[in-house]
Amino acid sequence: MSPADKNMGNPDHIGEAHNPEEFHPDGGMGTTPVAVIDSEASSRTLLRDAIRRLRRNKLAIAAIIWIVIMVAVALSADLWVGSVLGDPIKIDTTQVVKQSLQTPTLAHPFGRDDLGRDILARVIYGARISLAVGVIATAISVFIGLIMGALAAYYGGLLDSFVMRLTDVFLAFPYILFAIALIAVLGRGFVNIFIAIGLLGWPTIARVFRSSILQVKENEYVDAARALGAGDVRIMARHIMPNAVAPIIVYATMSIGGAILTEAAMSFLGVGILQPTPAWGLMLSDARGYIYNAPHLMIFPGLAILTTVLAFVLLGDGLRDALDVKMKD
Amino acid sequence: MTHLLEVDGLKTHFFTHDGVVLAVDGVSFTLDAGQTLGVVGESGSGKSVTALSIMGLIPAAQGRVVAGDIRFKGESIVGIDEDKMREIRGNRIAMIFQDPMTSLNPVFRVGVQVAESLRIHKGMNKADANQRAVELLDLVGIPHPAERARDYPHQFSGGMRQRAMIAMALACDPDILVADEPTTALDVTIQAQIIDLMMSLQERTGSAVIMITHDLGVVADIADNVLVMYAGKPAEYGKADEVFYKPLHPYAWGLLDSLPRHDVNEKTELCPIKGQPPSLVNVPPGCAFHPRCPYVKDICRTAVPELRDIGGGHMAACHFAGEAGFTRVEMACAGVSA
Repeated sequence: MSPADKNMGNPDHIGEAHNPEEFHPDGGMGTTPVAVIDSEASSRTLLRDAIRRLRRNKLAIAAIIWIVIMVAVALSADLWVGSVLGDPIKIDTTQVVKQSLQTPTLAHPFGRDDLGRDILARVIYGARISLAVGVIATAISVFIGLIMGALAAYYGGLLDSFVMRLTDVFLAFPYILFAIALIAVLGRGFVNIFIAIGLLGWPTIARVFRSSILQVKENEYVDAARALGAGDVRIMARHIMPNAVAPIIVYATMSIGGAILTEAAMSFLGVGILQPTPAWGLMLSDARGYIYNAPHLMIFPGLAILTTVLAFVLLGDGLRDALDVKMKD
Repeated sequence: MTHLLEVDGLKTHFFTHDGVVLAVDGVSFTLDAGQTLGVVGESGSGKSVTALSIMGLIPAAQGRVVAGDIRFKGESIVGIDEDKMREIRGNRIAMIFQDPMTSLNPVFRVGVQVAESLRIHKGMNKADANQRAVELLDLVGIPHPAERARDYPHQFSGGMRQRAMIAMALACDPDILVADEPTTALDVTIQAQIIDLMMSLQERTGSAVIMITHDLGVVADIADNVLVMYAGKPAEYGKADEVFYKPLHPYAWGLLDSLPRHDVNEKTELCPIKGQPPSLVNVPPGCAFHPRCPYVKDICRTAVPELRDIGGGHMAACHFAGEAGFTRVEMACAGVSA
């Protein structure tokens, strides 16, 4: 929390005393530009405003820090984990009996699993899987969802009905069951998990985006743009999209957490990542047999899932507040 | 002689589940360069739909121009190719919307938005258009225009946003400016400033203005001609002075009686028109105004009055308009009961 606290005293909002309600008794005619008095305020941008609002949200900052740490650790894992903690996959057959289920020590802070592998190392490599699934599956969902949502909202009518009924069909299936069915069809494998989870996520994105566009479309500035002579493409790209996309950013951030959770559940059930690749859900599954005599096998991957999913949800929540233009603080 | 804009028997109808809405039902007027036409009437009298019909902005899914014609510089612009209409829209005919708080896109800087129509219609590059946008913001009286052009709409007050909207509308130096209740959403103190601004800009640019409003005071001040609308139909049309000082239609009388005045006893109560505007799906038979008219007679319930010239181009759609003895009873609501 402390880095977030430091940010609270940031001098960023000094320019705020700026008051746009300048009064012109002469009707304002013939006013000539005078010296710059409010360039500080004028240089504020929506993005900067959003970042400033995000900085005030301690939970969101904590979430960002946690995500950054995780990404950094996961990306750099090849450089140090093997030598410091030990190989996350290979089993040292000479030591298995001695090291199996070893409780946490200073050298192996998360302990060792039933096959004597370092759990921290496995959690770190598991983070690679989880983050990759979260980001890539969400990217697939967002890509399909944005296109479908935009088509439905913009053209309306039959196409709208068709897309929305299609989302109904997708959403009518139990989530995990549908994912398992897709894996059964596509075959097991790393890439197929991205695809399966990605395909599951698009209907919600499409619906959120559709409703968001429909709402934005009603705004008078869209009519005003049309009255300026702007064409369909320009109106869609410049006036509707940028205003409709904020809920998608928020929802996509949160659904990264959701995708991680789904992958973990699938791996836990044995339809996700294959052994011996370290994945959090798989580790939980392996730990079931030792839940009473070696709970650390279960606790650490469980905590990894919990904190990661929570971080993305909290970040999404913070973004929702930060991206709201109407929130003038 | 060709007028700048001729609206001829315009009928714009909307097709809803409840039936056909006769939003505009037979409106005609002409507009010449430099002229100002005031269009007045209650909410739902078809003023805004008239404006949107001229702009070609009636949403095709809901309604369309079913009869009549709109001619701009002698050429019909009803049902023409959308690409051609887009060249006129914002370029030759520009529009100012009612609510400046919602008419600017919140995610773009004001200057960029003012520059947008220049980039669409004049093919200007970014730098030139932005430079011109700053000049336009200066023209409409925004202080420090170069700095304020970089502001976002939420950093502008209502009055300044409406000034920015005016700058947007004037960017391409249009022939006609359609202002749909440009002051309704503003503070009273700002309203006069905005009207003054529009009029002085009109003098400078020589564009024609269609001022849609329900503020008769504004119309009397600035309009050359006035069109009074009721239930989608013209009730009265003529020179502003004539309509304002010698109104012929009982509806116009009612509108005038509803206004506070400084020349009568302060204890005199205002005299609103009784009832509400009719549903445009079920317009009353005969004269649409008859259920609310204090002077109603039998013929009003059955025969639709035609808009006819009572004298000198002053037209009214009332069976009795211009008849001797059919005169306005000041503050009629007190005496005559409907």
